[in-house]
Amino acid sequence: MICQWQPSLRRNRTRSVLSLKINGAVREVDPPVGRTLAETLRDDLSLTGTKIACGEGHCGACTVQLDGVPVLSCITLVHTVGEREVTTIEGLRDHPLVDAFVRTDALQCGFCTPGQIVSAAALVEAEPEPDVERIRHAMAGNLCRCGAYPRIEEALLTWRD
Amino acid sequence: MARLIKTEKEVEGRYTEQWVVVEEDEAIDQWPQGPGTVVGRPAPRQDGHARARGQAIYTADLALPGMLHAAVLRSPFARARVTKLDLSRALEAPGVVGAVRPDDCHVLSLEPPFHGAPVAAVAADSESGARAALDLIDVEWEELEPLLDPEEAVKRESLLEDPRRYERGDLDAGLAQADVVVEAEYRTQTVLHNSLETHQSVCRWEGDTLEVYISTQYIWGVRDSIAGKLDLPPDRVRVVCNFMGGGFGAKNSPGDYTYIAIALAGQTGAPVRCALTRREENLASGNRNSTIQRLRAGVRSDGTLVALEGEYLNAIGWEGFSGPTYGPMEMLYACENVRTLTYGAKLNLPPNAAFRAPGFVEGTFGLECVLDELAARLELDPLELRRRNHADHDLADGRPFSSKNLLECYRRAEPHWARREEVRASSNGPVRRGTGLASQIWYGGGGPPSYAWIRVGSDGRVTVVTAMQDIGTGTRTAMAQIAAEELGLPLDRVRVELGDSARGPYASISAGSSTTPSMGPAVRAAAADAARQILEIAAQRFDLEQRVLSLKDGNVVSANGGSWPLEEVTGLLEDAQILGKGARGPNPTGMRVLTFGIQVADVSVDVETGEVRVDRIAAIHDVGRVINPLGAQSQVEGGIIQGVGHTLTEERLIDPASGTVLTQTLDAYKLPTIADVPEIVVELLDIPDEHLTNLGSKGLGEPPIVPTAAAIVNAIRDATGADVRSLPVGREEMLRALAEAREREKRAPAPA
Amino acid sequence: MELGNGSVALAGGTDLVPLLRDRIVEAETLVDIRRIVPRGVQGTTIGAGTTLAELEVDPEIPQALREACSLAASPQLRSMGTIGGNLLQATRCWYWRLKFPCFLHGGDRCHARQGITREHAIFGNERCASAHPSDPAAALLALGTTLRTDRRELPLEELYRLPTEDDRNVTALEPGELILELEVPRPEASTYLKAMDRTKFTFALVGVGAARFPDGVRLALAGVAPIPWRLDSPDDLERATPLPGTAFKVELARPLIRRALEAVG
Repeated sequence: MICQWQPSLRRNRTRSVLSLKINGAVREVDPPVGRTLAETLRDDLSLTGTKIACGEGHCGACTVQLDGVPVLSCITLVHTVGEREVTTIEGLRDHPLVDAFVRTDALQCGFCTPGQIVSAAALVEAEPEPDVERIRHAMAGNLCRCGAYPRIEEALLTWRD
Repeated sequence: MARLIKTEKEVEGRYTEQWVVVEEDEAIDQWPQGPGTVVGRPAPRQDGHARARGQAIYTADLALPGMLHAAVLRSPFARARVTKLDLSRALEAPGVVGAVRPDDCHVLSLEPPFHGAPVAAVAADSESGARAALDLIDVEWEELEPLLDPEEAVKRESLLEDPRRYERGDLDAGLAQADVVVEAEYRTQTVLHNSLETHQSVCRWEGDTLEVYISTQYIWGVRDSIAGKLDLPPDRVRVVCNFMGGGFGAKNSPGDYTYIAIALAGQTGAPVRCALTRREENLASGNRNSTIQRLRAGVRSDGTLVALEGEYLNAIGWEGFSGPTYGPMEMLYACENVRTLTYGAKLNLPPNAAFRAPGFVEGTFGLECVLDELAARLELDPLELRRRNHADHDLADGRPFSSKNLLECYRRAEPHWARREEVRASSNGPVRRGTGLASQIWYGGGGPPSYAWIRVGSDGRVTVVTAMQDIGTGTRTAMAQIAAEELGLPLDRVRVELGDSARGPYASISAGSSTTPSMGPAVRAAAADAARQILEIAAQRFDLEQRVLSLKDGNVVSANGGSWPLEEVTGLLEDAQILGKGARGPNPTGMRVLTFGIQVADVSVDVETGEVRVDRIAAIHDVGRVINPLGAQSQVEGGIIQGVGHTLTEERLIDPASGTVLTQTLDAYKLPTIADVPEIVVELLDIPDEHLTNLGSKGLGEPPIVPTAAAIVNAIRDATGADVRSLPVGREEMLRALAEAREREKRAPAPA
Repeated sequence: MELGNGSVALAGGTDLVPLLRDRIVEAETLVDIRRIVPRGVQGTTIGAGTTLAELEVDPEIPQALREACSLAASPQLRSMGTIGGNLLQATRCWYWRLKFPCFLHGGDRCHARQGITREHAIFGNERCASAHPSDPAAALLALGTTLRTDRRELPLEELYRLPTEDDRNVTALEPGELILELEVPRPEASTYLKAMDRTKFTFALVGVGAARFPDGVRLALAGVAPIPWRLDSPDDLERATPLPGTAFKVELARPLIRRALEAVG
């Protein structure tokens, strides 16, 4: 597919307010260009479940879903979110994975846990019964310094029990 | 009844004798070995849902009204002098409300002695505004020549303290008796904690009270440090930490960021957050320092160790402490002739900080690798070599152990160890597989003081109140289990209030594997006190003698079969409450309280590419009574995974020319991912230490990380014949060791 | 990539956003190009806006590219990052990322050469020792890919150049030029092997892409030079110019190249 690209600057909108779809609700924010989705969620909307641990895309603690796909909110510019549905840990708080994580002790300090659950929820949505190899592949982008990994694996293997 | 006694308190190997007030009522007998009704049974974390749902508020999530954000100007040089510092343009920037310089805050310096040392700071109404304002600080630096090399530091006597010498027996005589002597140099790297929540605090004045919200492992210690440093009455400092995102030893003190926030809060009149960025975290928030270990060991042909010598060089950095790298060599085996010499080098590098079993991880690596080198030369089974040198009392000072079941650990390791023929046989093509082991010794007895209160209301529900912190180890849940067991209640009737120095009595640090053995007995004592009061009331209510009554399964029961729901007694209270209090008693006198264990590792090494995979680790540890098997297993797995990171992938790198930190990000500093995790098999002996408190529990936060590196490296030797001598075992080190092994083979090929 | 007059093109942002926040790249305006750059696979044509996650699961594309995408980065980054952007990503050299005034930044010396180079180059490293981190780029180079930009077609190897005294760029795009599509020939067999410090989610120490075509096997390496590096034959490895800190990469590359060749037959 070939398309002709015309160089042009993005037209400034007269409205500077963004309407974001977050956890099923429409939220309006007015961030400066350059603000990340993570900053908007945490500081402008007080949705502090999403954590910033590195701010550079290296640890996964800030993982949220955009249209169900796990992405790193700390390097997603909020102005690029557009119409996509944002799902944060707050929107997943009743997901059966939460109980599974607590039951299997798949958390210690808990700081990485919201990001883990967001990634895990996307995995089980696509594959309800992932095997260990699939789990390791899908969860490799969520670091846990406390080392709850074996329990996280167990949570993902047994969440439907 | 309060008594004043002199007792020995140990934190991470440092012993102090101190006067301590202890509460001792009638002695409380330990529970019999084995799971009770609640204690010793797996319990999910009480705060698990709050953390998992993202509802828990960490210091990073706190937003106080009017809160300002601090940004810190840190030295970009390994050593420098600030020749000009002008904050005026920064102060004029929009959003900037305050700024501090060295005169304003003792942690700031015009002579920053390491990369990342703080020089000045600004507070602004946004984090980005504060960071932008740093660029407006007019600063000029004079770059100075830094001291970076630890061996050079020893030559120049740039040491943090006098060299430590230890000797017992006669080393030279011992070496003369030896049939085999091994001499080797081992090196470990600088490792960074990199907890996911960075170091940070939010500080606020409320009248004459300073409130400090901080991600910390030691609420009371931070309170007392701040009060002492700023000359404030301690009760005017309130420290709060409800949830924190990892510490591992780096968060035991206020840190520069807290004093900066306090100074800015005082100046601006507003709450101030000072949070380290991830890069600052990798720069100057503490580390496990690197070590150089020159070791010599002599053994008789029957496997008896007759000589152990170690020269240890701890490359501490500008400040910190010289860790007990010598500890395992002096303490682990029954060797009569031991000599150690330890230097703590003072360098223009960021200060070290305690990191999960400081000194012992590094020292166990060197010692346990040398033991295996001896075993190889003797053609003796490495496990048998450990058995033959088992110490049944502490050789350093002749004291007996309060409990030691290391031989039982070795026995339980046998099935895992016996797999090694099978493991080796599964080698395939360039992938060689092998098995290695290492012993573990560490502290973990805890000590006084620690206190807990227990509140029972008319609803028969129980609240444990103490100003402790749960740093992710699950101590909150363990304390609830202890109280529930003592009060004969199901776990869901017990809650724990923690996290606030204004709301609860002194609680010990969550470090040194000391929380459970320090707080646990205090909680049990408080629960016993509350139980006694409940039974006093019940005795009156049911007109029975108190001694025939007890609490069980949520009921008051009498010896002759009567049973009443607890609420029938507590319901009488109405607004009155039962308040129990308890304190941690003294440690057993004249005994050494230590933890022990062994790990067996299976590895695969691709001898062409140098790739090392840890396939399996069996971990057997003797840590006294286990309160929560679920939480305990997590601690062991977590410690091992950190150990795997220490061994294979983690290293803080310093640019040799500039002395600055190169690994500032989490792509350069490589923490293990879920894909790096081996199969982990955990076995905790769960044998109570009958001399230690009313619980018989020791701590287990640190034991699991201690032997992991040595077990892995010994397994690598078993698989390939290669002697790895430094950590991490990256491709370079593995390929180097493999090449060296091939050279050795050529020069002296193994008999056919 | 610069569009001129202070504006920079933004697609997935996984490399650009951190560079902007670090102020290694400065931009007055960001132009969101996601809707104008083609996305998706049709036959042998891959839209530059296709994400690595989409390529990772596509059974039609050559195995080397699929494997390279699967071994790259993390799941989140693969969902965000486009293949076009991946080709243009900047080096992870810590000296460059920490803004040492090095040759690549316009200065006169390579700080890595006097420092720690364990993640650096064994080829093309005379002026700059940085390593190109892209796994897909090496795979695509081995596959003989052609790029179609908004103004021309060029073989993938012509996208890359070693930095020189007059021009420190490692890519040869003209100002404002946008990669639109990749034309990726179908090989008889292909593979991508990657040696990294961790099991996943790590930049390559050495990555080897190999593709067998009727007229022979093409080899290309990631992580060994400032740009993705073609080898005409495995013997070219012996012409490497390692630095003391990168010598192990030669040893590491040898078995990987051999195994990659064995895999493609």
